[in-house]
Amino acid sequence: MIRRRQALTAWLFLTPAVLFFALLFFVPIGNQLLTGAYGSDGVSFVGLGNFTRAFADPEVLHSFLITLAYAAGTLVVGTAVGLGLAVILNQSLRGRTLFRSVLLIPYLTSVSIIGLLWRNILDPQVGILNRLLEAVGLPGQTWLSTHPLATIVGITVWSGAGYTMVLFLAGLQGIPGLYYEAARIDGAGPWRRFFAITLPLLAPTTLFVSIIGLISTLQQFALPYIVTGGGPGNATSLYAHRLFIVAFNDNDFGYASALSVLLLIVVLILSLAQLRIGERTDA
Amino acid sequence: MRERLFPGDRVAAYVVLVLLGLVTVLPLLYMIVLALQSDGEVQSGDPVLWPADLQWGNFTRLFEAAPFGRFFVNSFVMAGAITVSHLVFDPLVGYVFAKLDFPGKRIAFVAVLSTLMVPFFVRMLPIYSIFASLGWIDSYQGLIVPFLMDAYGIFLMRQFIRPLPDELIEAARVDGAGEFRIYLRVILPQCKPALAVLGLFTFVFQWNEFLWPLIATSRTEMRTLPIGLTLFNQEYFTQWNLTAAGALILFVPTAIFFVITQKFLVEGIALSGLK
Repeated sequence: MIRRRQALTAWLFLTPAVLFFALLFFVPIGNQLLTGAYGSDGVSFVGLGNFTRAFADPEVLHSFLITLAYAAGTLVVGTAVGLGLAVILNQSLRGRTLFRSVLLIPYLTSVSIIGLLWRNILDPQVGILNRLLEAVGLPGQTWLSTHPLATIVGITVWSGAGYTMVLFLAGLQGIPGLYYEAARIDGAGPWRRFFAITLPLLAPTTLFVSIIGLISTLQQFALPYIVTGGGPGNATSLYAHRLFIVAFNDNDFGYASALSVLLLIVVLILSLAQLRIGERTDA
Repeated sequence: MRERLFPGDRVAAYVVLVLLGLVTVLPLLYMIVLALQSDGEVQSGDPVLWPADLQWGNFTRLFEAAPFGRFFVNSFVMAGAITVSHLVFDPLVGYVFAKLDFPGKRIAFVAVLSTLMVPFFVRMLPIYSIFASLGWIDSYQGLIVPFLMDAYGIFLMRQFIRPLPDELIEAARVDGAGEFRIYLRVILPQCKPALAVLGLFTFVFQWNEFLWPLIATSRTEMRTLPIGLTLFNQEYFTQWNLTAAGALILFVPTAIFFVITQKFLVEGIALSGLK
């Protein structure tokens, strides 16, 4: 009797959530799977045609390859910076809380601000960075025309390093201090302790950071959209930007749906891998 | 126990921290300098570290050059409504998953959590099509409805409510309180700290949201601040001082959030796992 009433209450409380997730997640996802099977007119059925088209589309292939390069660059540099910051800020230093928080500000800042701010700072005509470099005798760079992708990687690392640091700080809290004591007694120096204890024991965190980093870089859209508009040429037209163009410039929703289903498949595989790793390291 | 680097390395640690701290903060401080420069100064190409004459008028010129007041209101309505919705529904759903027992619970919970794996791009196109046919493009409901709840908030609230003692709920039931009354009077008051975290994070992240407002609006008067700012910059790209002034206005809630949460910001982010 009570159980039945509780079940009734539970589903009553869940009704808005059921409606929301059904109508704004599951119906759209199902719709997306179906739309991907239709041509650019939205009427003619092309089956898996959009998918085979994607694999043969040089622009999609290009966007996928530069997205991988972007992801690799962001992950390597971002992980190193985030880990370094976490190790330094895991010590008992004065002002530690303030430093930890300050480094998080870019992560909380709108991508509009970040994109526009860096576009101004890097501008060859009015930007301040080249003037500063020239002032110390270094040559100025045409950042966004000569090294567009590397520059986007740099801005991404700048804005995300604080978040990576937080994840590594959580990982560092989990390493028992005893290990370091023992290593110190055995005469291991700080670098030795870092490479023999910290780094191996942080392996699960590093893997976690890498996978969620990869998932978010695969979906990166706004930063290159604001900073370079995907250019010059299509040098920074990442996969999500290509998808956006196919949908809203070419108005080819069928093809764009197929591209988003491919994105879904990759993200699902990565998310499931992350769950498996999480389960294994918890046990 | 925290690992210590060797003595003397403390100095090296501070040098690295101060350098990286400056790299983090200086661009944002430069934004303030930029916002107060005259048109001549921003276009000169000479570095201006302190404007000769602080141009406070840039802020009023900004509102004349583009409907920034309207952008601000739109952003506020969107982020505000989504935050209220999260504060109403996320704890309610979190409570159901934390404390009630019912057939279908596991499936429902897994279904909600599985939405975390879905890239926004996957549901964006169909929602856009549906909203277009409903006439919801360029409307507040169009901006708000896709984000009324999310699995992060629900999961955060469930984790917070789970350790609360069941005896509280049992006692209220014995006293004859209805289920909703129990939730409202017994559970919700315990959740204040979690609700504060949830509300602040939701507001700041929605305030900064870029992709959906870009797609869901096309009329100038329905643009939100992040979109209005980038469009304004494309139209008047030499007006970097006005763009920076607009960026500062957009930055205000983040700054307030930072000041309020500075002490528990790191724990808050680790706790909520917001991406």
